[in-house]
Amino acid sequence: MFTGKQSKFETMVRAYSAELYRYAYWMCRDRFLAEDLVQDTFTRAWQAWDGLRDDKAARSWLYTILRNERARLFERKRLEIDEAQELDDLIDASSAGPHEDLEMRQLLSALPVGYREPLVLQVLGGHSCAEIARIMDISEGAVMTRLTRARLALRKLPGIAATRKAKSV
Amino acid sequence: MNCFEFRKLLLADPRARTSGQDRHLAECPACANVAREMENLEARVHDAMRVPVPEALAERVLLRQKTRVPALRVWALAASLVAAIGAGAYFYRTAGNTEEPMLVAATLGQNHPAVAAIAYVVDHEPQLLREGRSGDPAVMRSALVKLGLKLPANGVTVRYLGKCPVPSGTGEHIVLQTALGQVTLILVPNHPLGPRVTVMDRQMTALASPARLGGYILVADSLDHVRRIEKMLM
Ligand SMILES: [Zn+2]
Repeated sequence: MFTGKQSKFETMVRAYSAELYRYAYWMCRDRFLAEDLVQDTFTRAWQAWDGLRDDKAARSWLYTILRNERARLFERKRLEIDEAQELDDLIDASSAGPHEDLEMRQLLSALPVGYREPLVLQVLGGHSCAEIARIMDISEGAVMTRLTRARLALRKLPGIAATRKAKSV
Repeated sequence: MNCFEFRKLLLADPRARTSGQDRHLAECPACANVAREMENLEARVHDAMRVPVPEALAERVLLRQKTRVPALRVWALAASLVAAIGAGAYFYRTAGNTEEPMLVAATLGQNHPAVAAIAYVVDHEPQLLREGRSGDPAVMRSALVKLGLKLPANGVTVRYLGKCPVPSGTGEHIVLQTALGQVTLILVPNHPLGPRVTVMDRQMTALASPARLGGYILVADSLDHVRRIEKMLM
């Protein structure tokens, strides 16, 4: 019985630690903190293993654990209004005056985390909007709005805008 | 399906294509253009998100699970170590004007918060600065208040705001641009940081000091700068 649990756990660690690390990284943008979060996530998963009934649910379960671990660590209460404002400010600030192309990683870093998170879950994790809604504990409509706004912002930001102009010439 | 509906779905989930979208795409060159542009954007976003994963990450996770070693953050050892050193009344200050002994890293060991802070600044900060600002100004302000510190109204700008590992879990990692150059301030609210100590390592100077409800660490290029910045924050 124990070895069954052990080998399943090992399989899960090998299958998901890399993608969880990237998710964690884009949540906190600190490589060391990201690894800590992955470690903590699997520690919790091991402890709560018996509560896991469905193997197929394991993956999004891990994402949820990681998300909770991070929330515990940051104790940050986000105000969605502030992040929407932050996103607007970002677009305003970057569309004023001349500037060089920013690297995509910097652009992503500049997105408020409430917008970056669903984007990472979708683009990198391949999660559906419904799954993202469950992981983030918000409505599916809110997920779609955030994804739309995040993409519109990335599209308007200098690095992308420059590429677009160059292409259309 | 009209253009608005098409683009709304496209922006929310470019990879999911309904048959309605396919039909619209076939008859609307403008939306076909947008779809190509989004495909390009999507590929770039995807590539950028694939940051390198640390080597042997899975092995480290499994090792910890097998050995049942509790979570040990980078500086977790430091708290007990400082307590041990602090037993000899070696570093404490009186009225803030006594000359503090300047220690070398070897005396304290690599796990001491002040030494670890220098390593963090030298090894990781440049990368963090390249990646840009991340933290919540409100969290920083509340941490400053808890420690009885304040940022001066003029002459200091925040270049970076983030989290870093400290004995109690995470601290507020702040990089300040000042007239004296770049300075790092690490705030550790709600957790005693041990006795006050200054240490020099890797051509940087760090000062770790207890404060009201926790402690703070300052890292700069010289002892003089560390002290002058500290006065500005008081
Ligand atoms: Zn159209």
